[in-house]
Amino acid sequence: MTSASQAAATAEVTEIDAGARGPVSLLIASGLVWLVVSSALALLQLLQAHSPALLADCPIFTYGRTAAMKETAFLYGWAANAGFAVALWLLARLGGAPLRSTNWSTVGALFWNFAVLAGVVAIAVGEGNSITFLQAPRAIQPLLLVAAAAIAAPAILAWIGRRQQATFAAQWYAVAALFLFPWLFSAAQMMLLWAPVRGVLQAISAGWFVQGVWTLWLAPTALAAAYYLVPKITGRVLPAYDFAPYGFWTLIVIGGWTGGRHLIGGPVPAWIPSIAIVSATLLLFHYIIVALNLRGAFGVKSTALRFVAAGLLAYLVGGLVDAVFAFRALAAITQFTWFTQAQLQLALYGAFSLTLFGAIYFLGTRIAGRAWPSSPLLRAHFAASVLGTVVLVAGLAVAGLTQGNALADASATFEQIAADTRVWLEVAAAGQALLLLGNIVFAYHFIRLALAAVTSPVAPDAVSFRRPPAMEASAS
Amino acid sequence: MRNGFLFFLGLFAALALSWAGIVLGSNAQLGQLAPLMDENEGKAFPERFPGLAAQGEKVYRDLGCATCHTQQVRRPGFGSDKERGWGDRQSVARDYIQQPVVHLGESRIGPDLANVGARKPAYDEADLYKLLYAGTDTMPSYRFLFETRSTADRQPSDYALRLTGKLATPSGVEVVPTERARLLVAYLLSLHQSYEYPEARPIEPAKEGDK
Repeated sequence: MTSASQAAATAEVTEIDAGARGPVSLLIASGLVWLVVSSALALLQLLQAHSPALLADCPIFTYGRTAAMKETAFLYGWAANAGFAVALWLLARLGGAPLRSTNWSTVGALFWNFAVLAGVVAIAVGEGNSITFLQAPRAIQPLLLVAAAAIAAPAILAWIGRRQQATFAAQWYAVAALFLFPWLFSAAQMMLLWAPVRGVLQAISAGWFVQGVWTLWLAPTALAAAYYLVPKITGRVLPAYDFAPYGFWTLIVIGGWTGGRHLIGGPVPAWIPSIAIVSATLLLFHYIIVALNLRGAFGVKSTALRFVAAGLLAYLVGGLVDAVFAFRALAAITQFTWFTQAQLQLALYGAFSLTLFGAIYFLGTRIAGRAWPSSPLLRAHFAASVLGTVVLVAGLAVAGLTQGNALADASATFEQIAADTRVWLEVAAAGQALLLLGNIVFAYHFIRLALAAVTSPVAPDAVSFRRPPAMEASAS
Repeated sequence: MRNGFLFFLGLFAALALSWAGIVLGSNAQLGQLAPLMDENEGKAFPERFPGLAAQGEKVYRDLGCATCHTQQVRRPGFGSDKERGWGDRQSVARDYIQQPVVHLGESRIGPDLANVGARKPAYDEADLYKLLYAGTDTMPSYRFLFETRSTADRQPSDYALRLTGKLATPSGVEVVPTERARLLVAYLLSLHQSYEYPEARPIEPAKEGDK
């Protein structure tokens, strides 16, 4: 750990947190609304997959549109908002100075959420693009780009104006996420929406973009939070920290190449999936370093850290599964099945969301200047999230393997396949229902925290801040 | 990583490298693909998309059909694509060069549609309308693409669905596909990958008994 983060550690609630309060709480609050919306839509989607007649007469909730709305609400609603919030707060903390020009973030956040809302409504009424992660109509996409730039501006200023020259791993990952997202996003918009490339190049570009959204935007965001919270809460220096830069650059350099693995056997040059399979294996190096660095997260009694540990476990397992199931013999079975959904949900819910929940529990206390009001709610959220993720991912994975094996057998009709997978989709839907419940609990808890902070505001410099024992046990 | 400028440059270059490799690389390989002129038939393949089909693609897109259907026949050795009758040969990049928006798809809750216009036995419009109207155990019905109306004071429509059994309508009432349904079906029937390009000859898998 560098001196920058140690300096920040000495002052628990500081003017740094107070300065970030406005934009960060706006981003988190809107993120949580979208999280609840997207988990409700995800549940609906699974139920429709189970019984196609559900809401079939309602054009707004056609299966394809439900799926597209869920994806947009999750990615651009929850993941982006929460990721921006955590990155802003982290970079301010680690920069050692209050955020400057926070109005940019606030205005950007308003425009961002307006754009996401417009996108979801547009999909519902049939203006969607049917392109993974770019579902909203193209007229809305540039607005998202500009809003993202505005939200990120204070974070980049905090990085440039940091008090310490030396930087910490959490900062690299946060800055990388903030900087690579607009790069990736604008290139993808250009190639897929504004001046579409020709023929199957669209599918290749889309694969590059979808993988990049995960490896270069969401994963770095989650890792930034984990690299900050683990040493901070355990109070220990990260083991094997010297290797952290290699882990970072492996992810950034190799990560963008792994997108083509879903195109095996398809009408694209064969080297595209091949290079993706090799890259997915090379990426294991990154996962090993992350595991070495952050192994202190496990077995510590702290709510925030328990979330991070669960997220980290999902991240590592997900990386291993991605590498193993990239190989052709296995991928030929799982391609086009629920199994790929299981991998995606393990990443998005397991690795990303769980880690960010941990970060929000940690920073929420500091932003509000008070402890979270209820520890039963905390425990309920943890149990529902972890159990829900496990059940959802397991249900989808088994459904996918069943489906994949049946698809390979030409005599199995789609009716039979549906009958065989139905019970596993029920399991997945149960997991998703748990997640929805957990997310509602979390949103309600956040509202209570925010209300408590608003109704009896305490000047941050006057707070004699005592760490709630339920939250953090080990440090100081 | 003390040098902020170098750090940003590294980030930029890392992504630029993967973009150049994957997107520019495949563009260099596929960007020159042109329709193949067949002297015997006197036309080039793949043929241009008919206008109705191009509009129907928009319906396919906005309903999110690609959520459950792929449009790609994989090479021999990958699954049972050929055995299921989805195509006599694998899809190749040239099949898609006339399509404004390509829906390769990533999920097969339902059958592949790359050759839905060239199925054996062939689907005709009436089959597809009926499928869309009635749905199946695994596919929702899309009744909002149809209009149920009385024939009391009008000429019965040529397009009216001939429904039997449980779906049968009372006399004096007909179910007519809307404009959107017609466009969608025109699009589906325009999907076929039957022309034998030189690069599309099936490659047999290297190892016997692979799948």
